[in-house]
Amino acid sequence: MASITVDENMQGGVGFSRQRLAGILVFVAVVMTILQYTGLLPSVLHRLPESAIPPFATWLDAMFNFVKDDLGLLALTRFLTEGLQWILDVTANLLFGKRRWPNIGPIPWTAIAAVAGVIGYYLGGWRLALLGAGTFIWTALIGQWKIAMETMSVLVVAAPLAFVIGLGAGILAWKYSAFNRAIKPILSVLQTLPFFTYLLPAVIFFKVGPTAGAVATTIYAIPPMVLMTTLGLQKVSPEVVEAGHMSGCTRWQLLRHVYLPSARTEILVGVNQVIMLCLAMVVLTAFIGMPGLGAKLLAMMGSFKLGRSFEIGVTIVLLAVMLDRLSKAWVVKQPEHFERGTPWWKRHATSLIALGAFVFFCILAQFVEVAAEIGRKQNFSQGKEIDTAIKTFLAFDPVQNTTNAMRYVLNVWILNPFRDFLLSIPTSAFILLVIAFALWLGGKRPAIYAAIFFSLVALSGWWDRSVITLYSVISAVSLALLIGVPIGILAARSDTWSRRVLLACDTAQTFPSFIYLIPAIMLFGITATSVVMSILIFAMVPLTRYTIEGLRTVPVEMTEAADMAGATRMQKLWKVQLPLALPTMAVGFNQAIMFAFFMVIIAAFIGTQDLGQELQRTLAGTDLGKNFVLGLCVALMALTFDLTIMKWASDKKAALGLDD
Amino acid sequence: MTTDTVISCRNVWKLFGADPAGYLAKKPEGHSYEDIRADGYIAGVKDVSIEVSRGEMLVIMGLSGSGKSTLVRCFSRLHEITGGTIEVEGQDIMSLSEQQLIDLRRNKMGMVFQSFGLLPHRTVLENVAFPLEMRGQDKHTRRERALEVVKLVGLEGREEYFPRELSGGQQQRVGIARSLAIEPDIWFLDEPFSALDPLIRREMQDEFLRLQAMLGKTIVFITHDFDEALRLADRIAIMKDGAVEQCDTPDKIVLNPATEYVRKFTEEIDKARVVHAGVLARDGITGEGTPVDASASIQELAKLLVQDTRAAIPVHRDGKLVGALDREEALNVLVGAE
Amino acid sequence: MKKFTTALSAGVLAAMPLAALAEDSSDPIVIPIHNWSSQIVMSNVVGQIFESMGNNVEYITTDSQAVYESVRLGDVTMELEVWEGAFGASFRAALEKGGLHDAGDHDAVTREDWWYPMWTKDACPGLPSWEALNDCAKVFATAETGDKGRYLDGPVDWLKHGQERVEALGMDFVVVNAGSAAALWAEIGAAEADKRPVVVFNWTPNFAEAVWPGEFVEFPEWVEGCDKDPAVGPNPNALYDCGNPAKGYLKKAAWDGMKDKWPAAYETLTKISFTNAQIAEMAKLVDIDEMEPEEAAEAWLEANPDVWQGWTS
Repeated sequence: MASITVDENMQGGVGFSRQRLAGILVFVAVVMTILQYTGLLPSVLHRLPESAIPPFATWLDAMFNFVKDDLGLLALTRFLTEGLQWILDVTANLLFGKRRWPNIGPIPWTAIAAVAGVIGYYLGGWRLALLGAGTFIWTALIGQWKIAMETMSVLVVAAPLAFVIGLGAGILAWKYSAFNRAIKPILSVLQTLPFFTYLLPAVIFFKVGPTAGAVATTIYAIPPMVLMTTLGLQKVSPEVVEAGHMSGCTRWQLLRHVYLPSARTEILVGVNQVIMLCLAMVVLTAFIGMPGLGAKLLAMMGSFKLGRSFEIGVTIVLLAVMLDRLSKAWVVKQPEHFERGTPWWKRHATSLIALGAFVFFCILAQFVEVAAEIGRKQNFSQGKEIDTAIKTFLAFDPVQNTTNAMRYVLNVWILNPFRDFLLSIPTSAFILLVIAFALWLGGKRPAIYAAIFFSLVALSGWWDRSVITLYSVISAVSLALLIGVPIGILAARSDTWSRRVLLACDTAQTFPSFIYLIPAIMLFGITATSVVMSILIFAMVPLTRYTIEGLRTVPVEMTEAADMAGATRMQKLWKVQLPLALPTMAVGFNQAIMFAFFMVIIAAFIGTQDLGQELQRTLAGTDLGKNFVLGLCVALMALTFDLTIMKWASDKKAALGLDD
Repeated sequence: MTTDTVISCRNVWKLFGADPAGYLAKKPEGHSYEDIRADGYIAGVKDVSIEVSRGEMLVIMGLSGSGKSTLVRCFSRLHEITGGTIEVEGQDIMSLSEQQLIDLRRNKMGMVFQSFGLLPHRTVLENVAFPLEMRGQDKHTRRERALEVVKLVGLEGREEYFPRELSGGQQQRVGIARSLAIEPDIWFLDEPFSALDPLIRREMQDEFLRLQAMLGKTIVFITHDFDEALRLADRIAIMKDGAVEQCDTPDKIVLNPATEYVRKFTEEIDKARVVHAGVLARDGITGEGTPVDASASIQELAKLLVQDTRAAIPVHRDGKLVGALDREEALNVLVGAE
Repeated sequence: MKKFTTALSAGVLAAMPLAALAEDSSDPIVIPIHNWSSQIVMSNVVGQIFESMGNNVEYITTDSQAVYESVRLGDVTMELEVWEGAFGASFRAALEKGGLHDAGDHDAVTREDWWYPMWTKDACPGLPSWEALNDCAKVFATAETGDKGRYLDGPVDWLKHGQERVEALGMDFVVVNAGSAAALWAEIGAAEADKRPVVVFNWTPNFAEAVWPGEFVEFPEWVEGCDKDPAVGPNPNALYDCGNPAKGYLKKAAWDGMKDKWPAAYETLTKISFTNAQIAEMAKLVDIDEMEPEEAAEAWLEANPDVWQGWTS
């Protein structure tokens, strides 16, 4: 079973196997590199001369200006801004009392916490009730209510907006294959584009502040919604559809009453992803002036308050975990029937209790000030204490010695030589190596994409920075493989540990990424090690998660067959479980690379010489063209890996006869 | 056509492939299923001509992939046919506009599906009322009607349940109730009991016969189970590779299988249970003594046949003499001799 | 009739010689907030002053470089801290495009340059002279820099020309760019634990002075043209061979439309001027006393009525 190869379904063709061809490409690349070292390689092949680099940025700028001014897009978006601003003002008034219509806010924190508790109870019993209410109570007590609500006020606008647009686009993509074909590559690029690239156009077109933040957040969250909607609609059982036809549905009735409700699960999974992405992005929009948790976090980091930063991070994680768990509970929540004759108030008990609690606390807040707002002096922030704890930990000698040793070994012996080596490879040879990799793993199509994408990167004129970006990604993902996969394998052996490790993964993933940076710097200085370490945490999460998932979803019959064949634990792992889990693990590997590309951009905060640093620099200006070129370089490199690895995984899955 | 023909289809083709219409224009009538397949097309329905009369139950029987489900979907135009004509109540359904088709389905047709095709987010009552809702009936009347049908299929007290809270048999009752809600003239059932346990299946068949005795609809019933076909059918059409191998009453199919393929099905069948006295009755001979009823199966007559000594026994239908059966021949059927 | 009175009063108002009598618009004045404490508190202080005059105020978080574009377009009404070194270029670029103008200087002066925390002096007693710093370059060596010392410069986009200065003055230092202010603080914070000597980019006024006492390295004094003419400065063949100006300006910038829309507030804005000590005090309230910016602003206003009350009349 495990030894099935995928060779047959590849082009055998002209006598070259895929592997042979890849081998030849590698050989050519090695020869070229050696020629370069001996000084015999024409310099054009080593690095593209400046003169050969087309001014993409200028062209893009001209295009943007044309669209913006001549086509009047700016006028349109500024018009839309007004509408969006109005909605944001309403939520801002309700949630944190911004002085705008309807001027009735802010809603007391106790009322919101109570409603969250009731919803949690309805969706998942006491545990979720506790999570729902607890998150808001924590936020209030720690003294972050207002900033958290600033964030929420944008989230509650951006998430529904992304949902509606994503749903609409998903329906169109499902209905019209032409639209689907047109939108697929756009979605792929959107999903790999660094978030910095969303931010600048948002500011230019939608005004600095919450509106731009909401727009960037919305766009960032749309792709998964589109994909999940299309997937869900495609999966609706044909019989249900036929039943709809036979019931005499018109097209609209069919969509509204048959398709959408039947695709509920996938659509709700999409909603869950929308919420999570919105939350991740809403924090990052602090870079373009969105107030809220992200902005506070940046300010706290800017004044070296580790404890307070950490507390904000905890709030964000709690919010994320709460929204995630509640929306996931909503996904699996199935309708329950009420006996006939159940009175009206019993059918709507949850809504009534929620409403009752809401009104009660709103009234209470009029008389008891603490129920309405918790001021600075009443909160329980332990910022200073945490600061001290962190500093004491860092000053601890064994910690210092360990990190210093690691820093030395990694930097001086591994990372820097590796980087210099990658930089020393001629551009043309580098591209050949990437093509060989794509060909060997994914086949002809990925190889062609790899060729086009990396050639474009070379043409962009940002080759060295792109290579440095890639180097950070490769280093971090390699380390993550060494650590994350064994953890996954160990955890997968027991239910309890799987659950615990998966929970840790969730937490690590939702913890705002730039909090990792400060400890990384304090431990490893402003060096490549810090960069790699901060990416590492992020990249390990999907590897561990998918290793566990892959191993645990190996069909029981197969492990039982292995047991009956007298396999030892190790044999079972190596001969049965790992080969079968491999396609799933490849998906995790792919995600690890995507996450690494995401994080490497943020790691520019530590101090790097890669694309992220240049991208960050463009944020301060109005350099839209350059911003896009840089963003696309990242996206193209990420896409190359994405296409190749996903192709491999799906080939492998098909060969093993596993379904998605 | 006589007015009693409800569905009439002539030379119906349903091809799947890149350009079915273009391929059909090249007249592949003589080609076998494999030939067509070699050309890159799948013949879902291959040159089928069949008629269904009012009040008749036609069972289409075939193994999976034989095209039976495709054929029934052509009747209701869930599939667009590639060639031929299908008339429902004298109207060519391929010429209907979308709105006319919707009206036809809303008022004349009902369908039951193998995996029930229930809407998971609606209660039993809402599922049953769904076709009524689609046709725009007001809430009150559709509720009344739905309750009526739910009662008819024996699901009283479960009106507020959701499909996933019901057993398979109960879910199919909901499917049946839904298909009956609009009081259709034509009732399509696509392997309605295949997904059920054998015991439940038997029970549902009885239930179905009870309903049919009450309602007297025109029915096209799909099954892959020959026993089920024999049990329910007025006529059986046996399909293979998209074509109808034989279409006749159960007795005649059992007694005279038209092809080798059909004969294989009949081999294992206890013919005595299927063949009725009426079929064996001959005009030419007249027996004496007490007549037997034409609708009695040979098995039911077993004791009489063995003990009787007459060579020919008269056969009555509704009190009228229709002929007499040859006892020898009937005994042969009883003991399974060819 | 009503129309007539409206027209009449409009005419009368237009005829008034001074804007002082015109009402400020009730639209909110938008004050930008950045990611360092003194600016946030100062913005809140000024915002509360405006509110005490009956204006509506709104704070909006923005990027400290991109803000000039927003001020120019009127999305943001003013900017209270225009640092010569850090934002002079962005400010001048926006000034050329038009839409905003210089609304006067603060008393405070700004300085940005190489800096070290006090404990560094134990390892390199000759400081703050730059020659002394260069002599003990080895003290600042790290695993990656070998024998040379490491100087941690600000993010590349701040354009501090650390590399050029090292080359121009022939110093034994390797320049490493931090990616953000936070990265600088983290490095100092880590060094503080074992009192490791470090030399980093820093500026004043800044909260860091209160947390880690330290000094600027004294480079050859800034001479006008040091960044444009190689002949200026000790090395005749190189640019950037002197320190940064020790007394940079700290300006306010205003949107051109502010004068007409909120004349009274504008009048006040032009009068506002803070000193280094006052700015440090504001930063301290937040950074050391852990107040929220709004509360810190209230506290400061309460403690210093004589400073600001003169600006509102």
